[in-house]
Amino acid sequence: MTAENKVKQNTLSFKQIWQRYGTLGILALLLVILAVLKPTYFFQSSTVTQILSQSSVNILIALGEFFAILIAGIDLSVGSVVALSGMFMAKLMVSGTTPVLAVLLGIFMGAMLGFLNGILVNSTGLHPFIITLGTQAIFRGVTLIISDSSAVFGFPAGFTKFMAQRIFYVPVAALIAFAVALVLAFLTKKTKLGRNIYALGGNKESAWYSGINVKLHMLIVFIISGICAGIAGVVLLGRVGSAEPAAATGFETYAIAAAIIGGTSFFGGKGKIFGVVMGGLIIGVINFGMNLLSVSSTLQQVVMGALIIGSVTLDRFVAAENRR
Amino acid sequence: MKNVVKKFPGVTALSGITFDILAGEVHVLLGENGAGKSTLMKILSGVHKPTSGTINLGGKEFTGLTPKDSRDNGISVIYQELSVINELSIQENLFVGHLPTKKLGFINTVDYAQMKEHTKELLEKVGLNRDPETFVENLSISEKQQVEIAKALAADSKILIMDEPTTSLTSSEVAHLFKVVRQLKKEGKGIVFISHKLGEIMEIGDRVTVLKDGTYVGTKNVSDVTQDDLVTMMVGRQISGSYQHENADFNKAEVIFEVKNLTRRDGKVKNVSFKLRRGEILGFSGLVGSGRSEMMNSIFGAQPRESGEIYIYGQKADCLTPYQSIKNGLAMVTENRRETGFFHNFNIKKNISVLPFIKKSSGGGTVGLISAEQEEKWADEQKQRLNIKCYSTAQGITELSGGNQQKVILGKWLAADSQIIIFDEPTKGIDVGSKGEIYTLMRKLADEGKGVLVVSSELPELLAVCDTISVFREGEIVATFDRKDATEEKLVAASTAEKGKEKKRDSRK
Ligand SMILES: Nc1ncnc2c1ncn2[C@@H]1O[C@H](COP(=O)(O)OP(=O)(O)OP(=O)(O)O)[C@@H](O)[C@H]1O
Ligand SMILES: [Mg+2]
Repeated sequence: MTAENKVKQNTLSFKQIWQRYGTLGILALLLVILAVLKPTYFFQSSTVTQILSQSSVNILIALGEFFAILIAGIDLSVGSVVALSGMFMAKLMVSGTTPVLAVLLGIFMGAMLGFLNGILVNSTGLHPFIITLGTQAIFRGVTLIISDSSAVFGFPAGFTKFMAQRIFYVPVAALIAFAVALVLAFLTKKTKLGRNIYALGGNKESAWYSGINVKLHMLIVFIISGICAGIAGVVLLGRVGSAEPAAATGFETYAIAAAIIGGTSFFGGKGKIFGVVMGGLIIGVINFGMNLLSVSSTLQQVVMGALIIGSVTLDRFVAAENRR
Repeated sequence: MKNVVKKFPGVTALSGITFDILAGEVHVLLGENGAGKSTLMKILSGVHKPTSGTINLGGKEFTGLTPKDSRDNGISVIYQELSVINELSIQENLFVGHLPTKKLGFINTVDYAQMKEHTKELLEKVGLNRDPETFVENLSISEKQQVEIAKALAADSKILIMDEPTTSLTSSEVAHLFKVVRQLKKEGKGIVFISHKLGEIMEIGDRVTVLKDGTYVGTKNVSDVTQDDLVTMMVGRQISGSYQHENADFNKAEVIFEVKNLTRRDGKVKNVSFKLRRGEILGFSGLVGSGRSEMMNSIFGAQPRESGEIYIYGQKADCLTPYQSIKNGLAMVTENRRETGFFHNFNIKKNISVLPFIKKSSGGGTVGLISAEQEEKWADEQKQRLNIKCYSTAQGITELSGGNQQKVILGKWLAADSQIIIFDEPTKGIDVGSKGEIYTLMRKLADEGKGVLVVSSELPELLAVCDTISVFREGEIVATFDRKDATEEKLVAASTAEKGKEKKRDSRK
């Protein structure tokens, strides 16, 4: 190698800078726009709290969704898993189970639903899109059945109080989301399990030939997705104070968007937990901002959709131009 | 192409290359792995934009091409990773993008009749005897390649670039390809031919241009040079020919690997048994489709077997999945490395460390932590050992040249430090100099007491490294030769013997 080559190694290309700091840049940009447009409302201590608490559920779901997309699959059932495990927890709590046990069982329920997704994907060989489209409807249906189509509320005071806490402006919900993100970041970066999942997402055949147990890893991925949705269910119960049978409808869209905005590749094998958290926060800020600017809820959907398409297109465009 | 320079972040792939293509010639591009051959051609096909330099096409001057410019000016590329669309039929593949149409009332519809007619003509030209409506996924690699060539003809290309077209072909398929190439030459097409096989170059090439580390070494008429001259031009030194120990006798050596009565349900392998002794390198010859790779896949547990037993150092080993095999000390460098060896989303380091990490873990390869230090060590070891050309092992594998990618995959299997290693086409896409290094490495492994099995379609390769060569035909071992008795003629004769022909004749009746 010549000396020239060595020097170049240290300077980052535009693509690398974009990959590393792109999402952070978008987030900062959005915050600045809001600060300029509505300075009086924006510079309040409650702003951080609100954004964080609104984003937590989405971040949690997106963290699980991330893994499903990482293996070049998808999990469309996450919204329904949030609702069903939340409903299950709520029922347990109002019938006298201690909150801690109820929460654990609820998360376990999420894991089992994910397990079911994984088993179905493995045994049928169908694309996860089809399987989870089916289970999305099934899980929602079961939620409606066990709840008799009505909301459940009146949780023990201990639970609601705990969930309403905040530690220096940061709500418990956000702390939970960040803790889960940390655990999963560790999993993806430092464990063989995580490495294998990336390998599987990159090339399933190669993974099989390399001795990776493809079905086992697929199963684990869907269980992780289920657990994250289960935890999101807990957080949602805490925030809303009741379990609605229609809770979290359509949340899979936001979760997918968060993962993709955060740089996860739809073709599998590429993405980072940090990016997903950023993606979740970006969506949270957009939501918060539109409320602040009193954009009507119908228009909000339009704006959100446009922003998702825009940011992902920009990302791909930059990547493609740099490859030539 | 004049003074073409291409810089990638970290590397200068081409520093001022001048290259021309005449009508009606085969211009060979030669050079070591990473010399810049593919990059130069990718500039011509519009994949990469040159950093500087100009391209002159039939009088028009460009400073950079888009893929469309390239196509419009009559350039077609047949990449090593074929780009035919498996889900379409042959005819649709040929005319995708410029389907013939006919008027049906007010609307234009696809004129399938015309398309089929035209496809038939083109297929005849490239010598492919298939129904135009056959789906491409049902074709063999060489047939797919013929479709690619036909596609270039359909687009009425004046320049055809073939980047290592023969790596996955058998010798008879190569002969067939050459016939087509000669025909195209006669029609006045300019052909760029990239290959690491010197014999082929001498046979088909008119002129040859040699690159080295992105610089221009020279252009010669093929008729004016010998193979040795070419090697000296590209490597800068001579390379020796054989890698066996003289007078080696393995009859009394310990059997370290044995396969008994291996049979596959699909009939591709029938009741095969063989033994490998300490220090011996065992090769498998045969036509493509004779079942060698299928046998290896079944031994390794990547594909199912109906019956058969495997013994490693005398111990019966299950080997029903790759995981079990790897745990039992088996490794297999697969033939289709892009599909079955390669993680495009990983850098060099991660590609290499997948195997050792799996091997040294429990619970189906899931349990355990990644050690960055270990990973670094494994990768550096293989980089040194195989002389992988990269500026850092943290570089993405897709940024490497074809041959260096192959080396990374080799390294991945070597890093597992397995007892028995199956090499399926070990030197696919690897340059002459590095081939010798890999043969030396294989011999060293065998001398260390490891088992080395080689499947190769290149007879010179088998003859250069193997101590024993078994010939496969229709799923069976039909002959086994000691190195000293083996010749190319004998191996070819055994793999195409009468029995096969008779059977075919019978089935036609
Ligand atoms: N996309 C890329 N990004 C960075 N470096 C690249 C890229 N493509 C090629 N290179 C570098 O350019 C150099 C030349 O590569 P090229 O693929 O042209 O080699 P080659 O002569 O075709 O070799 P081979 O015989 O192995 O196919 C190599 O050092 C390679 O690592
Ligand atoms: Mg190449």
